[in-house]
Amino acid sequence: MENGSVRLSLSGITKTYSSKQGGDFTAVQDITLDVRDNEFLVILGPGHCGKTVMLNMIAGLEQASSGAIAMDGKRLEGGSDSISMVFQKLALMPWKTVMQNVEIGLQFRGEDKKTRREAARRYIELVGLAGFENAYPRQLSGGMKQRVGIARAYATNPEILLMDEPFGQLDAQTRYAMEEEIIRIWQQEKRTIIFVTSNIEEAIFLGDRIVLLSECPARVKEIYTVDAPRPRDQISSEFLSLRELISNNTDLAI
Amino acid sequence: MSESQNKSLKDSAPTGSMKNKGKNTLTEKEPVSAKRIVYLLLPLLSIALIVLGWIYLSGRRPDMLPAPVDCWHRMIKLFTNPVNNQNLFGHIWSSLKRVLTALVIAWVLGIAFGVLIGWNQRAKALFGSIFELIRPIPPIAWIPLISMWFGLGEFSKVLIVFIGTFTPVVINTCVGISMVEQQYLYVGQIFRANQRQALFDIAIPSALPAIFAGIRSSTSAGWMVVLAAEMLGAKTGLGLLITRGMESDDTALIMVSIVTIGIIGALLAAVTSYIERRACPWRTDQ
Repeated sequence: MENGSVRLSLSGITKTYSSKQGGDFTAVQDITLDVRDNEFLVILGPGHCGKTVMLNMIAGLEQASSGAIAMDGKRLEGGSDSISMVFQKLALMPWKTVMQNVEIGLQFRGEDKKTRREAARRYIELVGLAGFENAYPRQLSGGMKQRVGIARAYATNPEILLMDEPFGQLDAQTRYAMEEEIIRIWQQEKRTIIFVTSNIEEAIFLGDRIVLLSECPARVKEIYTVDAPRPRDQISSEFLSLRELISNNTDLAI
Repeated sequence: MSESQNKSLKDSAPTGSMKNKGKNTLTEKEPVSAKRIVYLLLPLLSIALIVLGWIYLSGRRPDMLPAPVDCWHRMIKLFTNPVNNQNLFGHIWSSLKRVLTALVIAWVLGIAFGVLIGWNQRAKALFGSIFELIRPIPPIAWIPLISMWFGLGEFSKVLIVFIGTFTPVVINTCVGISMVEQQYLYVGQIFRANQRQALFDIAIPSALPAIFAGIRSSTSAGWMVVLAAEMLGAKTGLGLLITRGMESDDTALIMVSIVTIGIIGALLAAVTSYIERRACPWRTDQ
């Protein structure tokens, strides 16, 4: 994994918003970063600073003010078929069943019903929701809803998965369970994952590497490599010392 | 399939210790059924009160307000002595036919137009202000002009009802479409939906509750407008019955018409909410 080839590279990405009062607001400043093939990369940053904006730029939902994003050496503009996303606010369509939500990407691609049902069913099983295909999102718990979000992101068979604080709205217990789940899913179906969080423990528990961002505007402050084997023990001395190291280097208490 | 599983999902939600749970079901069972009876009786109570008040008032001034029994007899008489060759059902059907014709046209055109101006900024800029200008004019205000242009026939009445029902459908649809959550559109963008897919698979379904709010308010508006239109000149319909009652000092006939209007209006509302529940199954529990 350490020697994995570069999948995605950001060079000098900056995002500035101009406000009507005249002052400009820079959310992301000059971020240069390589993401390796099949790595679990965690972007860790304080509260409201540019993390989502960064993912949105990779996804093509927002445009960078300057800098370039390249995937496999090719400049990326307006997203790609092989990039998928798990949303912080779930963004499941309440009028669609679990099955219909998961197959939405394949439906938009124009796959026929049989093909997309098969693919969707496979990922519904992968995330542990077999039997809930016909349930509506409102009938599911928070953790189960985000499982649907993960299955939906996997269903288009992307090479890069963007995850924007996917467990941020879950209670602590469910969150731990989902962190273990996402590692299990990723080990079973290896993809390049870029996972945004503001939680240090979550970052250390999940990441192959952790990119620590600064307070606004977001810059790369430090990149940590986590070598500990999985599953990681959250109270091992190794875990705790890395936690302290990152914590002391963080701009604000997060 | 999912029914039993969903149930078990909900049941498994932690709601206090087992001990408490058992206790609660024992003590709560009695009040629950008593409560249910109370809630069944309360609506009947209000109807009973109104009828009692009606009986009391009609006893004091029978010339102003006929007694319920007299109204009942008057209604029977409508079947033996039809007004303008129509019994009560005939008049109900005349009014309903006008409303339903106008409603179907208003729903089809109104939803299409609402989607257009809700989805397309240019269309909104083009039609939006004209629509805002026409919207506050009460449909009844068009009656004189429309009668002059198209006469007093069926077409004029349907047109007036259409004017009154088109706007609520357009407004609600437009608001629903333009307020679709950004998150859902992002999902469309991530999964590379084209415009047509984003509209038909994301925006329109997410606007369905708003569209149905428009359908509901257009239905009640239509039922009101048709009666006003009929009162100003018609050979059939419940509005005509009221006018006839007024001209011949037949208060019982007026009351029969009013009660009928209320009942049919309530039935129309019940039908639309039934359709809504069928069309939006995700909004209700199984």
